[in-house]
Amino acid sequence: MNNRWTGVVAPVLVGMALLLAWQAWVTVYDVPAYIVPSPLNIFSTLVRDWGLLSGSLLVTLGVTFAALLAAVVLGAALSVVFVQSRLVEASLFPYAVILQVTPLVAIAPLIIIWVDDSRAALVICATVASIFPVITSTTIGLRSVDPGLLDLFRMHGASRTQTLLRLRAPSAAPYFFAGLRIAAALALIGAVVAEFVAGTGGTRSGLAYQILQAGLQLNIPRLFAALALITLTGIALFAAVTALSKLVLRRWHESELPRDP
Amino acid sequence: MVSGGESLQQSTDAAIVVDGVGKTFANGTRALGPVTLRIRQGEFVAVVGPSGCGKSTLLRLIAGLAEPSTGSVSLARALRDAGIGYVFQSPTLMPWASVERNVRLPLDLDGVPREQAADQVEHALAMVGLREFGQAYPRELSGGMQMRVSIARALVTRPRLLLMDEPFGALDEITRNRLDLDLSALCARENLTVMFVTHSIYEAAFLSSRVIVMSARPGRIAGDFAIEEPRARSDGYRHTPAFARINAQLSAALAAAMDEPEFVKAQVFS
Repeated sequence: MNNRWTGVVAPVLVGMALLLAWQAWVTVYDVPAYIVPSPLNIFSTLVRDWGLLSGSLLVTLGVTFAALLAAVVLGAALSVVFVQSRLVEASLFPYAVILQVTPLVAIAPLIIIWVDDSRAALVICATVASIFPVITSTTIGLRSVDPGLLDLFRMHGASRTQTLLRLRAPSAAPYFFAGLRIAAALALIGAVVAEFVAGTGGTRSGLAYQILQAGLQLNIPRLFAALALITLTGIALFAAVTALSKLVLRRWHESELPRDP
Repeated sequence: MVSGGESLQQSTDAAIVVDGVGKTFANGTRALGPVTLRIRQGEFVAVVGPSGCGKSTLLRLIAGLAEPSTGSVSLARALRDAGIGYVFQSPTLMPWASVERNVRLPLDLDGVPREQAADQVEHALAMVGLREFGQAYPRELSGGMQMRVSIARALVTRPRLLLMDEPFGALDEITRNRLDLDLSALCARENLTVMFVTHSIYEAAFLSSRVIVMSARPGRIAGDFAIEEPRARSDGYRHTPAFARINAQLSAALAAAMDEPEFVKAQVFS
């Protein structure tokens, strides 16, 4: 059994089996579509409503990517600051923890009220949700440097910038990508949660708004279709980050090296 | 022939002078000293002693990687100007960079132009027999080859002083013996001043022109032995009665130093 089989074909087969079982259950027991629609019904709704749903998908994708980019840039920059001084880290890190442990649904309404531009408000909410894993992973990575190499850099009078770019940043790459995988999922979740909050306030936005509207109209197949798009977006995002990690680390880091079975 | 320790330590052409150096860490642990030691240019000095006796600390103090709590360390101008090559206990290579980039690192940090650096990297790789492996990544090399890369990196700036901190301790005996042979030839050919920390008295006796035996923590010099057998030595030297006699005496000195921290003896093996 090769890696391709185990990595792609096996989960696809499991998914197809579950969909078949779902379809059979709905058909055999004649479950109404407003309770649980069948996979075929969801698919046909997805095709029929594609014009509406694709527009919302683009909005959600835009918010997610903008938030992920902001989380990466701000998170990495904060990590670099933390590594320069234990005092700075001790002073600021608790506030990063506060951001992480405060429920997004509690602060999203405030952010949406405070920020006039609804799209910017959504991006801020999703950034707050996704920045913490980037900060913690990258900070640990920037600190996890071979002490011998640090000595070597010191012996040759390397500047802080040289040490950061040539030693700390590459050492932190595996940790950064581990954080990025979590952050990508959280950025999508953050975007959807923020859209829900904004949607209940009447702001038209992405897929979460479509779910909200479909629920209110008891259009359950459309609700499932929007949900399926969110799920597929999450999977695609995770796969893209994994591929990027593999591209960067495949030649040298144990986590991405090919292994014999 | 036996001579006093003072005569060994009072040579005038000292390349390294360690004068009453002691080191106490921030947590109050007295790691070293006081130690007084003079090393001549071109000497290959091995330092042996029990674990935790401050051998590595002494090396770090000489390299300027730590400040002594007492005393001073001074290097001859020629050594200081040429820079110091340092080889660590593990290869300490950058896993994300090719062998060539790893070896070039000290030159990059020193701001040496890329074309000039390329020649020096090639020369350093040739010295350790890895000219063909410049594009390989560290993980693709054996432990012995990785250590050769580490030595090439230490030599690439053409230093006159090489500090080595138990570099072959983690290697199997055959690889270690082979690297000892190559290192011995290389250092004799380049007339390098070398300070080599090791746990192995056999390795110390084979490689060096002088062996310093240290006592348990806080490490002090408990014995100072000169070995007059010309360098570089062949593999056959390991099987000579002289080598066996030196090992026996070093072993006895090390055992005595563990129990008795005062200066045990100085001797010249001829």
